[in-house]
Amino acid sequence: MSSPKLATKRTESPATAARASTTPRRHRTRHAEARGAWILLAPYLALFLVAAAIPIGYAFWIALQKAPTLVDPTSGFGGFDSFITVITDYRFSGTFINIFSVMIVWLPLMMLGIVGLALLVHASPGRFGSSMRFIYFIPGALSGIANFVLWVYLLHPTQSPLAPLWQEVGFGSLKEIVTDGNMPVILTGMLFFQGVGTWIIVVNGGLNGIPDEIFEAAKIDGASAWDLAWHIKLPLIRPWIGYAALMNLAYGFQLFLEPYLLRQISSGAIAGEWAPTQLGYAFAFTNRNFPAAAALSIILLVITLSIGVIIVMKSGLFGDDKEEKR
Amino acid sequence: MSNTAPSVVGAKHWTVGRIARIVVMLLVAAAFILPIIGFIAMAFRSQEGVLAGTDGFLGLGGISWDNVVFSWSQINGFGPGGGGIFTRWVSNSLVIAVVGGVLALVAALPAGYALARLRFRGRKVMLFATLLAMVMPNTVLAIPLFLEVNAIGAVGELWPVAVIMGFFPFGTYLVYIHFMTTMPQELVEAARIDGLSEIATFFYVALPISKQVIALVAFFSFVANWTNFFLPLALLTSNQQNKTISIGIQELIGASPLFNATVAAGLDVKLYMPQLALATFLSMIPLLVVFLTAQRFLIRGQTVGAVKG
Repeated sequence: MSSPKLATKRTESPATAARASTTPRRHRTRHAEARGAWILLAPYLALFLVAAAIPIGYAFWIALQKAPTLVDPTSGFGGFDSFITVITDYRFSGTFINIFSVMIVWLPLMMLGIVGLALLVHASPGRFGSSMRFIYFIPGALSGIANFVLWVYLLHPTQSPLAPLWQEVGFGSLKEIVTDGNMPVILTGMLFFQGVGTWIIVVNGGLNGIPDEIFEAAKIDGASAWDLAWHIKLPLIRPWIGYAALMNLAYGFQLFLEPYLLRQISSGAIAGEWAPTQLGYAFAFTNRNFPAAAALSIILLVITLSIGVIIVMKSGLFGDDKEEKR
Repeated sequence: MSNTAPSVVGAKHWTVGRIARIVVMLLVAAAFILPIIGFIAMAFRSQEGVLAGTDGFLGLGGISWDNVVFSWSQINGFGPGGGGIFTRWVSNSLVIAVVGGVLALVAALPAGYALARLRFRGRKVMLFATLLAMVMPNTVLAIPLFLEVNAIGAVGELWPVAVIMGFFPFGTYLVYIHFMTTMPQELVEAARIDGLSEIATFFYVALPISKQVIALVAFFSFVANWTNFFLPLALLTSNQQNKTISIGIQELIGASPLFNATVAAGLDVKLYMPQLALATFLSMIPLLVVFLTAQRFLIRGQTVGAVKG
């Protein structure tokens, strides 16, 4: 039996009882069940192979090849040379410093925003709370390029509704606003605006899962709204907060669109290889050094997969037992 | 209880804390909604009005339908041989997002059902792989996917993009949760006793009770496909006719005199902020339609637990 824990938790129905009593027949149904399962899984499995397993395996294989150069156009097994090429590239550490410089500003604000607003929404029952939650979600609908164009509009020193502010600070052109030094703040704004609403709904879902009796009991004990939020709700939604933090952390490593396009609108004030993904893009499409591009992808994959493993194993949100109960 | 203890928090007293909470929430709401109103207004303004700065609060005084007609002529005039590339990009996105979404449904429904309600060796591994793929940011795989598609010589074609987007582990997870919560194991057992095969049980028992999750998976995969940027950028940039709207808008930005005077000087059309805002606004309409269609299924949002960026 593949999952005895699940089976024992299930209420014994006449069907399972009958099946358990006739062992040979049960064996046959087991077999049919497994075969049926794999048939049902087949389309998904095929896509999983094509869109995840094979490209990862292939990238690994490519990364171990030698990059052909003009002097030596042969390719072949190159061992870990391409990984060394990537790590010793003069831009490599800089790209990670760049995204860390954003994450230091963005992640704390993001978590504060998510948790704070989710708690505020949860403390506001009725129509007001739900309409606020809906409004907070709207920017999330503008994800990707749409959010970016919106921010170009907001950042433009003369055409933005914030133009007086920009001029007050002394910014006269986009080139003066979109600089390396301002990147953490700009990206924080973009990512916060587009991401916070979805996560408020996620954390709010966690809060709604807390039984009302707990709050009733605390209120009878004389807890204020603040006590309730700080001492009761916050500890109970810790798994959701951890989940949000790690997901956003993983997201930070794969930033691409925003720095890529910020370079475009700032006439190149931002480096073309600002983020690690951009460096990979440059290896693939500018240098045509596929082994190096693959090696960098593998490095990013290991980082985000590790974060993913922590999320799945440790957050406590994806356990089989929990799903069974819900 | 509330009768005996009327001073309980949340009663109808305008305490300082309560006022502060409402004020903070309204301020945040304003900060979220005003930029969007201003941006949509921008799509209805004219470059002259924007430059003159006479359109009033958020530019709402400068909106008119004539501006939209003019801006559309500029957007639609963009592209080689008299333009029209914008609509081509939109239809490419529609094809990719719909085909990808249908593939996601075809794969996720039986897979999620099998993971939730059938027992077989390898179930835990598949579930773990699905969760892992779901929480992993999809941009990380774009270069490996490019290398794969390049190896079979299909870079620049639409179908590999649609097939890749058909892999939607979040959809499988949603279906898994759906059957875990709404379909009792007894129903599966009963179907077996009635002599239905595992496949038939899925089609005749599980599928008919899956309307809600079908809407959810279709919605989330459509949105994810529509807004995906890096994958189409890596796979389709080489073929201008096959670009999607998300990377098409990037091309419009690149052709705007606001950011690139040299490129813009060589164009017949002028893409200023109102035109870029209108192009973006138009590109959002399919998402809006899908959202409004799926809305009543989205309200029960507990399972929305794990939307990935």
